[in-house]
Amino acid sequence: MFTEVLLALVIGGLIYFLVQRSKNQVLTTEDGWWGSGAPRDAGEDDTIRSFRVTTSDQELEDLYRRIDLTRPFPSLEDSQFNYGFNSQYLQKVVSYWRNEFDWRKQVDKLNQYPHFKTKIEGIDIHYLHVKPKKVPEGTSAVPLIMVHGWPGSFYEFYGLIPLLTDLSNPHDLVFEVVCPSIPGYGFSEAPHKKGFDSVCAARIFHKLMKRLGFQQYYAHGGDWGWLVTTNMAQLEPKTVKGLHLNFAPPSKPGLSMALSMMLGRHFPKLFGFTDFDIQRLFPCMEKLVVEFIKETGYMHIQATKPDTVGRGLNDSPVGLAAYILEKFSTWTSHDFRNLDDGGLTRKFSLDDLLTNVMIYWTSGCIISSMRFYKENFGQGLDQHLIVYVPTGFACFPNELMHTPKLWVKQKYRKLVTFTPMDRGGHFAAMEEPELMAEDIQKFTKIVEGKVKE
Amino acid sequence: LWLECSVAAGGIMAYIVYKRKKTRTIPLGDGWWGVGEKTLSEDQKIYPFQVETSDKEIEDLYERIDRTRYADPLEDGKFHYGFNSTYLKKVVSYWRHEFDWKKQVAVLNKYPHFKTKIEGLDVHFIHVRPPHRENQKVLPIMIVHGWPGSFYEFYKILPLLTQSRDGVVFEVICPSIPGYGFSEASHKQGFNSLAAARIFLKLMERLGFSQFYLQGGDWGSLITTNMAQMKPQCVNGLHLNMCMSNSGFKVLLSLLIGPYLPFLVGLSREDVRRLFPFFEKNVFEMLRESGYFHIQATKPDTAGCGVNDSPVGLAAWILEKFSSWADMKNRDLEDGGLERKFSLDDLLTNVMIYWTTGSITSSMRFYKENLGSNLNNRVDFKYVIFVPTGFAAFPNELMYCPKSWAQIRYRNLQSYTFMPRGGHFAAFEEPQLLADDLFNFVKKVEKS
Repeated sequence: MFTEVLLALVIGGLIYFLVQRSKNQVLTTEDGWWGSGAPRDAGEDDTIRSFRVTTSDQELEDLYRRIDLTRPFPSLEDSQFNYGFNSQYLQKVVSYWRNEFDWRKQVDKLNQYPHFKTKIEGIDIHYLHVKPKKVPEGTSAVPLIMVHGWPGSFYEFYGLIPLLTDLSNPHDLVFEVVCPSIPGYGFSEAPHKKGFDSVCAARIFHKLMKRLGFQQYYAHGGDWGWLVTTNMAQLEPKTVKGLHLNFAPPSKPGLSMALSMMLGRHFPKLFGFTDFDIQRLFPCMEKLVVEFIKETGYMHIQATKPDTVGRGLNDSPVGLAAYILEKFSTWTSHDFRNLDDGGLTRKFSLDDLLTNVMIYWTSGCIISSMRFYKENFGQGLDQHLIVYVPTGFACFPNELMHTPKLWVKQKYRKLVTFTPMDRGGHFAAMEEPELMAEDIQKFTKIVEGKVKE
Repeated sequence: LWLECSVAAGGIMAYIVYKRKKTRTIPLGDGWWGVGEKTLSEDQKIYPFQVETSDKEIEDLYERIDRTRYADPLEDGKFHYGFNSTYLKKVVSYWRHEFDWKKQVAVLNKYPHFKTKIEGLDVHFIHVRPPHRENQKVLPIMIVHGWPGSFYEFYKILPLLTQSRDGVVFEVICPSIPGYGFSEASHKQGFNSLAAARIFLKLMERLGFSQFYLQGGDWGSLITTNMAQMKPQCVNGLHLNMCMSNSGFKVLLSLLIGPYLPFLVGLSREDVRRLFPFFEKNVFEMLRESGYFHIQATKPDTAGCGVNDSPVGLAAWILEKFSSWADMKNRDLEDGGLERKFSLDDLLTNVMIYWTTGSITSSMRFYKENLGSNLNNRVDFKYVIFVPTGFAAFPNELMYCPKSWAQIRYRNLQSYTFMPRGGHFAAFEEPQLLADDLFNFVKKVEKS
């Protein structure tokens, strides 16, 4: 009884909070300035500078020293990943990191695509800009901006980029890809002022694309990238030709969604629910509420005390690795919590996982990456404006929050494609780049008018 | 329609009241928390213990502090994003250059420490006898700490309790909850407050106490409550400064009617002032401040990992609570108001207890063990407490619990005192006020 009442109060509070905020109907935004101090009167430096990821002996030695100073604490007998990242398995990962992982080699891998930096609204924005080597006669490359999330980075797209920029199938479209780092993540400078939410990121990314000479482009995103690209579509629906997502949790339950939760189990056809939908959504209490509470501790603390939680992680590489890699385990499949090794290397290589962690480590950006949660829970997530930009949704079976077609359509009214995928979880671009590339192709072709819907 | 509704409401109320009248004690059970299989016999001896340190320990600490990689706080962020980096640097500078851990270790050792093995774990406690016992009524009392505190929180109140007042004086036992500080952490899953309660009851028995008082706040209040539920015949009185009130029909009714007709649901004007508007004051505050609770109750191993390597990270995690939980308004201050009620020496000594024992991860697991499984299945939440209870309501406590709500669970509430000032760490912040209330409560109980 206690839990029910508490839950009712909490949900009631959240709904009240959300309802109160969504008064505005039009997504407008003002300009911003995120540098330290006051904005300079002279015009902003808008040059685009080449950037290379670098490392040094000193950086590696410091990392190794800290790894050697780790004070591990054994996990409880037989607890696997149910209490978080298993300590015994963590020692194995760390041993690989310390003795076999070759950061210099990975840095070379990172540099295989051209990196750039440019100042927008007072902060340095980092991005990759990958042009296709060959573009078929009479066509041009389709511009596409891909935005990552937390705890990911631009590196998640490294498997996907070649599939979009190298023309292998003459019937496929070829893309020109821009992968920025959200300010506060990786090599993008962190904002110095309060209030930097997804709408601000969206605005900055529009400016970036315009600065690179694009008038119209496609956008792809998952995790926070979903929200930033959605905001981009809400800010400038004429500029965003198509929006492709693999993650779209409804931020505000509409009438049809609420009805489907109550009646969906008994009348699935009424709501367009497939067997898989039923399996993932019902019983609602267990599948949605309990799972949500079990997995959102990080979200709760990052949305309230980011500076505190990030503090230790910026000094302890092992702590940082545990924190980040726990997500790559659990968000790839919830069942992985019952495995001694968290199933971590079933879908990813340690090299790739640790490269992502190193991006957070070497840039020291964990705190600023967490602040995004606090800023977004304040404003960004309340943009309930309907999106009329053509949208494509790739529905991966192990995604954190399962959204059936009905729920996606609540907000994305022009849903051009909805593809249930065979496999894959939250980090879909990294896990299943072929499937993702296929879906982006399919979606973009329809929007470009090359293929009938 | 009104008649039907009121009859139904009356019926429901009567049923709820009836259901709560069960006076059973909760079963004691047994447990084994050591490594591997349970041993045939257990060493029951009590060994004296001394807190120690070494140059190596201190050098290691300093090296880690020197390696801290700070990040700039947001301009004008104060303590709204967590522990402010700029102020943190000041605290850490004091820690690195002025804090004297060897001196603090000597302070810790001024009371006698002991360890004894119970249910497979080494349980640490201090045992403080009053210096003057002749012609005094010596009352044994166990005081239990919480998170992120330790037995050290009681060092200010101990001298007050071991000094007699009107012929009454306390003999104090302050244990460390297994997994906290110098008490060994459980190696098995499932170590919750019921297990801690049982272990502490065994401790009192081993020390030769058949009747005693209990005092607790934070986890200590839950553990001491469990102790009173398990062996009410041993517990003369239970004094709490934090009450985890069970919600239910009465509470809901209070919330709905309270703002308009408080007296009808047993709320005083003071209660109304502290509770309403309920949503703004309590639910939002709860959400804003319970992130740590949520992550510790779900992923303690992950959360504890980084802070066990980074002393500055650990300090930020722990001291942030000493800032907000002393007074929520501290979040609006650049320095989090940390040194208004506490000295840096005291705060850092508490942090050092977590640091030198490496117990932060196991301390966090206690949250998961207590709240991980279905709350409704906990046997202790179903039964009320009949042991004489005293409650000290501090104004800045995290969750306000009015007298009428406390009485839902604690049926023998002998005293309920509104305190003029103080927050969550009552014994640490306002030892005099707490000691006064404790003596008053105990005298009331002894008279009857």
